[in-house]
Amino acid sequence: MWKTILRRFLVMIPQLILLSVLVFVLAKMMPGDPFTGMITPQTDPKQLDALRAAAGLNDPWWTQYFRWVGNLFQGDLGNSYAYRRPVTGLIGDRAVNTFWLALFTLVISYAISIPLGVIAGRFEDSNRDKAIQVYTFILLAVPSFVFLLFSLLIFGYILDWFPTSGYVSLNVDAGTPAYWLSRFQHILLPGLTAGLLSTSGTIQYLRAGVIDNTNEDFVRTARSKGVPERVVFSKHILRNSLLPIAAFMGNSITGLLGGSIYVETIFSYQGMGQLFISSIGTRDYSVITALTLLFGFLTLLGNLLSDIIMSIVDPRIRVE
Amino acid sequence: MKKKSAFGYVTLTAALSILLVACGGKSTSNNTDSSTAKSVSFSTAYKSSKAAIKGGTLNVAVVTDSPIKGIWSEQYYDDQTDADFMSPAAESLFSTDGSFKFTKDGAATITFDNDAKTATVKIKDNVKWSDGEPVTAQDYLFAYEQVANKDSETQRYTGALQNLEGLTEYHDGKSDSISGFEMPDGPDGKTAVLHFKEMKPSFTQSGNGYFLESAAPYHYLKDVPFKDMAASDKILKTPLFFGPFVMSKIVAGQSVEYTPNKYYYKGVPKLDKVTAEVVSSSSIAAALKNHKYDLALEMPTATYDNWKKISGYTNLGKEELSYTYLAFKVGKFDNDKSVNVLDKNAKMNNKSLRQAMAYALNNDDINAKFYPGGLRTTATTLIPPIFGEFHSDAKGYTLNIKKANSLLDKAGYKKGKDGYRTDPDGKKLTINFASMAGSDAAEAIAQDYIQQWKKIGLRVKLTSGRLLDYNNFYDKVEKDSKDIDVFQAAWGLSSEPSPADLYSEEAPYNMARFVTAENTKLLNDIDSQASLNTAHRVKAFKAWQDYMLDEAYVVPLQYRMAVTPVNNRVKNFNIAYGSDGTQWQDIQVTSASRAK
Repeated sequence: MWKTILRRFLVMIPQLILLSVLVFVLAKMMPGDPFTGMITPQTDPKQLDALRAAAGLNDPWWTQYFRWVGNLFQGDLGNSYAYRRPVTGLIGDRAVNTFWLALFTLVISYAISIPLGVIAGRFEDSNRDKAIQVYTFILLAVPSFVFLLFSLLIFGYILDWFPTSGYVSLNVDAGTPAYWLSRFQHILLPGLTAGLLSTSGTIQYLRAGVIDNTNEDFVRTARSKGVPERVVFSKHILRNSLLPIAAFMGNSITGLLGGSIYVETIFSYQGMGQLFISSIGTRDYSVITALTLLFGFLTLLGNLLSDIIMSIVDPRIRVE
Repeated sequence: MKKKSAFGYVTLTAALSILLVACGGKSTSNNTDSSTAKSVSFSTAYKSSKAAIKGGTLNVAVVTDSPIKGIWSEQYYDDQTDADFMSPAAESLFSTDGSFKFTKDGAATITFDNDAKTATVKIKDNVKWSDGEPVTAQDYLFAYEQVANKDSETQRYTGALQNLEGLTEYHDGKSDSISGFEMPDGPDGKTAVLHFKEMKPSFTQSGNGYFLESAAPYHYLKDVPFKDMAASDKILKTPLFFGPFVMSKIVAGQSVEYTPNKYYYKGVPKLDKVTAEVVSSSSIAAALKNHKYDLALEMPTATYDNWKKISGYTNLGKEELSYTYLAFKVGKFDNDKSVNVLDKNAKMNNKSLRQAMAYALNNDDINAKFYPGGLRTTATTLIPPIFGEFHSDAKGYTLNIKKANSLLDKAGYKKGKDGYRTDPDGKKLTINFASMAGSDAAEAIAQDYIQQWKKIGLRVKLTSGRLLDYNNFYDKVEKDSKDIDVFQAAWGLSSEPSPADLYSEEAPYNMARFVTAENTKLLNDIDSQASLNTAHRVKAFKAWQDYMLDEAYVVPLQYRMAVTPVNNRVKNFNIAYGSDGTQWQDIQVTSASRAK
């Protein structure tokens, strides 16, 4: 097992190198550069050119790339052009915000979808099942931003139950219990909404899994042996039905960590998704490359995580 | 503090806001016939007759969809959102009147001696940083050092600033001090004398770019290396200013709390507290409908219909320092010589063609349709009316298809059987038009223009067949791409109206690339020594505007209004330019909760 994990980690290295070259080249191919957005009658184009030269943007891309790699090994991802401060710190602050929101979203998502999926599958074609099906279809059909905006409008503004923007309120001091409570309050609404939105897939998978497995031979065998129905369901049907969910888990964790552009923009929540989209707009190369690399790493990690989870729940995969 | 980047940013959520408001209960009916919509004239202040309460908190929303940068320094910040957040705390050294001329009410005064080529800056004795330390000549010098030091790498260092003696040498590291910055009473004194290479007519106007108008706390920041200054905690987390309020608490990227500066030289502000917070453009209308904020800065005018009438709020408006324009590519920028070069054979180098295209546009109709309520008005000249005496009363271009056709006929653009005109040599004529993607209106307006031009027999196509994203657009325009013959864009202007930076032979921003002896002469006259006499300068400005209208290399399309909704409990809030405008220390509220 450990050998497999180690091997997977080693394979990640060439993958990440390839990704970094691709991202670097593609970023430079976008029209404009970090200084294009600074065109105003009050800025001197000569000074912009001087800044471009100072930032090394006039060098060929491979020179820039190897300089960047060289700095990377010293733990330096460069400075953001737009924010004028180190990229590591910039991403660090937002990564924490995104992490808490992602974690909460994930918990909510599974807390809702697993019971609903099980109920729908176990009581196929019952009224309960039909109600759950309608619920998932509505979620699938409504565009996510519409859902997010409605929840912000209703629960944030009209009912005024939740804070409507940001990740913490102004009138609390960092480190106090009130501070952490405020942060929790700020992720409640975006987290609940985003969690609800991401339930439909899991519910459908689980329902289908339960229905399929109920008709499997091993279930019939267990039943004919006289195993109690409760045990048949929890040990035979449910465990097998959870496999695809487990397989997806690693990926959904990393998907959420990448941050959601919609959730973060609509709730003005300072996270990585929002940073990423605005960096592309301002051609903030150092942030774009750092974030893409991070997302790439997270995706690879997510795959690995999925495999590990699978090997835990499914003994057949553990065979070396 | 008067700086705006070129327009063009619109995010994916801008469109969403329409949706949100659509579900905001009352349907904001759009049925008011747009063609008859009369332009509403906005007021710059809401006059409340109610008595103010003692203290109180003012909640400000700053609308943006990008994370805020939070570089709290007048020397290092570079976007409007940061400027908005700084405005209660940071104050310019000099005050101005409504048309941006320096006055004597500010923290310092400036006087000029044209013979000695100097400006004398006198900081008032009672002006103190919010930690109680006096603002001194050294602090003014320090602002210069922040901008000019090479390690600072700021885009605020410009050719214009180098009109100060010794600044170039300081920037290049040849000198440790700026020789043209004299402190007759020493660094702790209150007087600074600036020695210029040349006196400029624009000196009396704020935003002229030839000298700095802000100070930085030397005693507080002297130990921070210039290289690390913009990212230092002393700027990001605990900035120091001498304006009416102090940034007492900052949540990075999100919100700021302000408390009164007890050392403020005009007296302690009347409010107990101000808070400012980022709100996304998609939710601001709903936020105002639920009375979450007292005022909202940078309101998106594209969704004006959604928030133009909200109970408890009054919309204040003022003319933006900007205009939208149409420019015809008639040359190239020569990078080696750093000059614009006119191409006599350029497709668009025909005055009649340019004029005809300008006459074909129906901007009144477009403004009524897409920017109801007077948010945008048809522009007449390249110096907006906000500049008072410098603005020419010339009529500008208005819809006149007949005249456009006759201009083209006379110039030899003959109509073929297909209804389209050929060029004077009888060859097929296709004109490529570039425009930026942005609001929903952008696409419709571009198509409207193309249809109008079709009416006068011109075949106009969109560059790349679609609207271009901001970066792509400017990349193509700056590099004089062959795919662009005419383009539509906008400029945010400085509060000094001299057009030299945008239209001179040397200006890289002269993106139409036109160069004529007459234009150079007229532009030079605006900034000449003779124009130190304002009456002469006014004439020079008018002559240039008339010339530009006639030549039509660049045709102004629209002037814009900035609208700020303010809750009716807010007293003494005014958005006018200059000292008549926002005086944060005077703002009060008339009740503890917002007016509904």
